[in-house]
Amino acid sequence: MSPSPETADAAFRLADRIRSEQPWEVFAERIHRYEVHWNGLRIEMVRGPIVLEGYAVRVFRCRNDKTGVGFQASTDVSEEGLRTATEDAEGLTRYSEFPAKKVDLPATAPPSTPTVEIRDPRLWERPAESLGEYVETLFGAFDGKHGVVPSFGSVRATLSESSLANSFGLRTAHAGTSIDFEVAVKAFGGPEGPPPGEYWVNETTRRLEPERLPDQVEQWCRYAQDVRQASPPPTGDLPVVLPASVSSGILPLVIGFQFTGSARLRKIAPEIGRTVGIAGLSLHDDGRVPWAASSFPLDDEGTPSRRRTLIANGVVSELMYDALHAGAFDLPPTGNAVRGMEFGFRDWRRFLHRPVGTATTVVVDPGSGGSDAELIETAGDGVWVQQLGWAIPDPISTAFGGELRIGYRIRNGKLAESVRGGTVGGVVLAPPGAPSMLASVAAIGSTPTLTDGVQMPTLLVRSLTVAGSGR
Amino acid sequence: MTGDLRDFESELRHALSKLERHTRFAEVLADRSGGEHLTLDSRSTTPAREPRMQGAVFRAWGNGRWVEAATSALDGPSVTAAAEALTQTLDGGGTNGGPPGVSATGTHEWVDRPTHPISTLGSAEAIALARDVLGWAKQVPGVVECQVTLGYTSEERFYLNSAGARTYHRLDRVRGGAIPLASENGKTEFDFLGEGGVGGRERLEFLTEQRVLEAARNAVALLHAATPPSGEMEVLLDPSTSGTFAHESFGHGTEADQFLRDRSYLKPLLGATVGPSFLTIADDGAYPGGWGTIFSDDEGHPCQKTLLVSHGKFVGALHDRETAAAFHSSATGNTRRADFLSRAFVRMTNTYVEPGDWTFEELVHETKRGVLLERATSGIEDPQGGQMQLKVKKGRLIENGELGELVTSMALSGKVLDVLKAIRGVSRKSDFTIEPGYCGKGQSDLLPAGTGGTFLLSTAVVGPA
Repeated sequence: MSPSPETADAAFRLADRIRSEQPWEVFAERIHRYEVHWNGLRIEMVRGPIVLEGYAVRVFRCRNDKTGVGFQASTDVSEEGLRTATEDAEGLTRYSEFPAKKVDLPATAPPSTPTVEIRDPRLWERPAESLGEYVETLFGAFDGKHGVVPSFGSVRATLSESSLANSFGLRTAHAGTSIDFEVAVKAFGGPEGPPPGEYWVNETTRRLEPERLPDQVEQWCRYAQDVRQASPPPTGDLPVVLPASVSSGILPLVIGFQFTGSARLRKIAPEIGRTVGIAGLSLHDDGRVPWAASSFPLDDEGTPSRRRTLIANGVVSELMYDALHAGAFDLPPTGNAVRGMEFGFRDWRRFLHRPVGTATTVVVDPGSGGSDAELIETAGDGVWVQQLGWAIPDPISTAFGGELRIGYRIRNGKLAESVRGGTVGGVVLAPPGAPSMLASVAAIGSTPTLTDGVQMPTLLVRSLTVAGSGR
Repeated sequence: MTGDLRDFESELRHALSKLERHTRFAEVLADRSGGEHLTLDSRSTTPAREPRMQGAVFRAWGNGRWVEAATSALDGPSVTAAAEALTQTLDGGGTNGGPPGVSATGTHEWVDRPTHPISTLGSAEAIALARDVLGWAKQVPGVVECQVTLGYTSEERFYLNSAGARTYHRLDRVRGGAIPLASENGKTEFDFLGEGGVGGRERLEFLTEQRVLEAARNAVALLHAATPPSGEMEVLLDPSTSGTFAHESFGHGTEADQFLRDRSYLKPLLGATVGPSFLTIADDGAYPGGWGTIFSDDEGHPCQKTLLVSHGKFVGALHDRETAAAFHSSATGNTRRADFLSRAFVRMTNTYVEPGDWTFEELVHETKRGVLLERATSGIEDPQGGQMQLKVKKGRLIENGELGELVTSMALSGKVLDVLKAIRGVSRKSDFTIEPGYCGKGQSDLLPAGTGGTFLLSTAVVGPA
């Protein structure tokens, strides 16, 4: 599939037809989606092309130091559909009220905006074939393995052309690919052996990397086998080691709400200058990490994406703003307007959602903690968390906790038996003096990993609460 | 987007006829949704209309598997193009036999017509109601904010297949809620109140001053609540938590596509006793007013009540046509797509624990050392391993049959079969509610699913959340 002039600029064409006296923007997408689903080593369903064209109109009405905002998304691209969507958005501004005196949207895309790598070229040109080859490689990686199979899974590729136009004169477009991949690997067998064990893989990426599959499958099979042998963890406050894949289920949700203009408006955001973490902890938001799922050259309002330091050496240094919340505080937007990220779920149909200020990719600077093995040695006695069931933190209290799907006991500075069941949890941010995860980081690993919403190293947390029935 | 989906019948039938030349079986589901939504707090008022979405998905059987294509345009050329794209995917293998199972052949129409349709609640009236709720919450000292949400989604689905089935349903799913926030010395806490279901304006009548004040006072109390205990103990689940328990523990494990994948710990237990004789768990897609009610599923089968556990015995599973054929059963009306863009899976509708004969007071009295878990916030299933995780916003300690101190959020985990076997009592019908929620399958495909129950006493591991 190649982008065509008449599809890549859908918002521009819609923009030419909008008749509104108020400031407005229109965000449009044309999406082609392809999917392969399997059951064991059998393909059970092939989907595609799933063709979706849609757009959202947002209209602003400034009055009495406040702004009314109307938003309407639609898949009806007809003349009448666009007129109705615009009229509905305008109508909603009459009832809407937001404490911003004005809203400034970007008028032009900076000519020097560098590109960000977000489009897998082979997948773009040959989507169905690329997915087919990927699944073939996946199945091949299980060849010769005994007692382990993929019990089910899917790979779903989204090829999206996005365009954005507004009444200030902005006209910009870009194209990207994203891939949602999941597979459940089951370990089983042995006449008297323990019941089957499963390791569930679930990730969103920007490109297919079939060459990584053999090593990944090896690792997933080992985890599935270790699930079978696992015993419950102990109960107590213990040192816990969190690889990036686990932190990705915790930090983006908390940072993406607490460090925003929306939280500041509700007096929940941490104050600039407050100490929230250990001295060696520096955390950023970066919308330009190559191949990251939330990277874009411009954010969903047209503000250039960039890297921003939110926590510098443990101290809060900056918050993130979309145009609306920036207007409430008379500040410029920070390039953090994101469509389609809610409660940790990423919707591939971004046009359905109004932009909100949130995190893109949470980046933590590498520390001096060394390799994972060195972090384990530093922990001495504790738990390595390989996977939490669903840590999904409460963004307001920042409390999190999830079932330990698979982990390892750390004894005498080395990984010991596998553990599973029970829960692991704590609080990410706490008022000064109260215990929290960021204030209890004992060591930061030296090698960052990009996974879902984070690019960060493994963390050793001095104490998190583990609850289980084991020892 | 005027008229209703049945206006596109001739275009859809024409496209379906193109497919029929290449396969033994084909179907099309047209789907349309819309609605309105309001979010209000003391700083902002945000009325919104739900995205206007419509489209159609074609499914056909070829080469021993399902193939699908979809389009967001319902005009004749677009739906025909989608069907023709599918004929290429069928790749000449489509005539090698038909799909497993029995194709729906019935013709049914369901249109929910509440006495007071929610669409008659205009923006001005919705804002007035939300402001009342906000005002009630902010009467409570310590409450700094309250986010009020009101809204509904209209759903319309029209299904046709090459075996002659034709079904149509239209309904509104109405939902409201309030989240009072309390703050003190840099610490913020909240409680929440929320209900929803298929129907009209009566679905919002739960938003009374008394209930909002109670939630607001709870938010303030949570600022000083104790940390919950950790470890294995007696657990008394409130109706929202026991409903989530039914959904996560037994619901996902009885979706029979998990049997087909050999991925359910429950598969070998069909017919076995898994709980006490007073325990019954069911799924019902036709439950009147249920949040997960759909009337007919996305394979054209009418919905029904399916017993999963009857008097402690595991008796049934949820089936689509394919799993019904594999396990010598019948489709149960549980084949659902999140929308026309998503694939069909076996899914739950309204899943609940049926009431028992204890009172809440008797269950508390029965508990020696444990915790009451209130306000379920999320859950996750583990059909393969038979584990579960439920999270709640708050709870109360129970010591020697007496309710004690308030505690903050908790997670409950454990082996489902152990928790089921340890159930000692379920409370009466007067406590029964079906609560609104959204359920995913794997990593996505969220759709509305109701969870219901009354108070339920068992034993499990409790930890932080």
